[in-house]
Amino acid sequence: MTARVLIVDDHASFRSLARRLLVADGFDVVGEAGDAADAFAAVRALAPDVVLLDIRLPDLDGFGVAEVLAGDEDAPVVVLVSSRARIDYGQRVDASPARGFIAKDDLSGEVLRRVLAGAS
Amino acid sequence: MTRTATVAAAVLAGVAAALALVRGGYAVPAELVAPTLVLTLAVAWSFVGVGLVARHRRPDSRTGVLMVLFGFAWLARFVVAVDTTPAFVVGVLLGSVALSVFVQLLVTFPTGRTESRAQRVLVGLGWLLSVPLDAVFLALGAQRGRGEGPPPNGLVITPAGGGFRPEAVDLAVQAVVVALCVSVLVSVWSRWRACGPAARRALTPGLVGGTIVVGTLLVQRTAILLLLPPSAGVWLAWSSQVVLVVWPAALLLGLLRSRLDRSGVGRLVVELGEAGAGPEHLRSVVARTLHDPSVALVHRRPGTDGFVDAGGAPVEVGARAVTFLERDGEPIAALLHDPALSAEPDLVEAVAAGAGLAMENERLHAEVRHQLREVRASRARLVEAADAARRRVERDLHDGAQQRLVAVGLALRLARAGAPPAELDALLAEAADELTAALAELRELARGIYPPLLTDGGLGPALLSLAERAPLPVVLAAVPPERPPETVERTCYFVVSEALTNAAKHAGASTVEVSVVPDVSGAGGLCVEVVDDGVGGADPDGSGLRGLADRVAALGGGLEVASPAGRGTRVTASVPCG
Repeated sequence: MTARVLIVDDHASFRSLARRLLVADGFDVVGEAGDAADAFAAVRALAPDVVLLDIRLPDLDGFGVAEVLAGDEDAPVVVLVSSRARIDYGQRVDASPARGFIAKDDLSGEVLRRVLAGAS
Repeated sequence: MTRTATVAAAVLAGVAAALALVRGGYAVPAELVAPTLVLTLAVAWSFVGVGLVARHRRPDSRTGVLMVLFGFAWLARFVVAVDTTPAFVVGVLLGSVALSVFVQLLVTFPTGRTESRAQRVLVGLGWLLSVPLDAVFLALGAQRGRGEGPPPNGLVITPAGGGFRPEAVDLAVQAVVVALCVSVLVSVWSRWRACGPAARRALTPGLVGGTIVVGTLLVQRTAILLLLPPSAGVWLAWSSQVVLVVWPAALLLGLLRSRLDRSGVGRLVVELGEAGAGPEHLRSVVARTLHDPSVALVHRRPGTDGFVDAGGAPVEVGARAVTFLERDGEPIAALLHDPALSAEPDLVEAVAAGAGLAMENERLHAEVRHQLREVRASRARLVEAADAARRRVERDLHDGAQQRLVAVGLALRLARAGAPPAELDALLAEAADELTAALAELRELARGIYPPLLTDGGLGPALLSLAERAPLPVVLAAVPPERPPETVERTCYFVVSEALTNAAKHAGASTVEVSVVPDVSGAGGLCVEVVDDGVGGADPDGSGLRGLADRVAALGGGLEVASPAGRGTRVTASVPCG
């Protein structure tokens, strides 16, 4: 079964490239959102399996969005992304309900699949 | 006149008075001669002697002179005891002079000078009642008393037993004298009540003695007025004379007390030099030295005409006597004290100078403490500003170049994954564009951290480049022809840079004029001026301008921001050289 993915990032160029990259690797990208508010609306409307969530967003940060989403029934799996390295966030990634973390420059379908599989 | 001559004259006058009494030609009761003589000479010589001492110790006061005058006037009454017509006339005319001098002495003590209208009236009345009134008596009926009784002024010698019947005119004169005595007492009492503790210390001995004398005189005169037997008056006159003998000593004591001890000023300076001299300690030492517990020390608020107390509350200095403490001709503080101390300006000024040293010391300490606080605060702000700048650089990198480089990486990865040729070209073009933009952003960021042109080309080219890159028209009106030291150059650059950023971001300005000229001091510093035509209302305590002010202050310079609402902003910085 193909995972349905929502991409949340405030940089349009990243969203566009990530979408193409994941689609090429066999993912079904069902939508994009530029900030936390759009992300919540998109999750409700599209019910994605996976949310690829940038940590730095203009309104609420990715950790906060992950907390809110984790409270929902049928919550999507959240994978955090950032142009910073994981080590820049210390224990925050482990402490969050997110399934995992991918540095933006490491992003590929294979890495995403590994994160989704490895932690579940 | 020398003191020796005065003493000799007093001795001669005393002997002459004694001769007049004993050999003058009038019948004087034998039992009255000795006490009258002893008391008269004791009073007169006491006044002359102590008066001379007083004049020597307090040359600024007329009290000493008045005391000497009283001594001679006291003896002059005895001219009338010589049984000749000229002596009678002169004696009657001089008979009450002592009373006039007495009134003046008591009313004007301790300065010897009349200081109010009431005092002038009393002293004038005292003199009017002596020579002029006695002259009237002479004209009215001089012969009346000749060879029989005493002349009308009751102080002289002694009445002949029983024969004297006072007439209406005598009673009237006595009533006026009594009224004068009461007025003097009222004047003295109100003066004592009105003055502070320092003045009372000086006034009390003299006034107590004087009041007793006036009181006895009052009883004596009232006795005459009430037609009591004259013999009672004799005893009263003698008792008042006994008081008169010691009164000069009391006057002298008062004079010396009002002079205060000058050695106190020395002690003051020593005590003030001791450690831990706070404002209250200073005040209490000054109060003790001046013997005025009500002394207050007030500071001038810099840049105003107002004064404040140690707690910073405004104080009205006009209400009491004031001695100003000056530095460079400007009052820096004031000593508020009892008006009585104004009679001793030298002493108060000496004390004020001593206190001024301590206050100046305290002021310098306060200034140093203030500067230290200021330096600590600005140091903390500089560190904060540096941290904020680092945060900004990190964010700029993260939001800018870093995102673009991530995009380049992803685009290249997509290309490598085997995109169709049409898409491949687009991906490579996208990667190249992102790379170009990332480089441009990195350059701008690096330039913001430190402009290389400033190091290589100096302030002029760096400012020109800044002006060209600014988002609004900038007129570079003046730049210094020579390169100042690097720190000065750097500071000037960042002042202009920050001011331009503000003008573009907040002021809504349409043009900005920048000029950097040599400082008028000629010490090699620079004066930077950035003027815009924007909305004004810039906050000098906002983080940007505050940071600039700290930066300029770190070099010992100053930054001024004039930004009236609606009338543009003018940022002026003077950046000294080293």
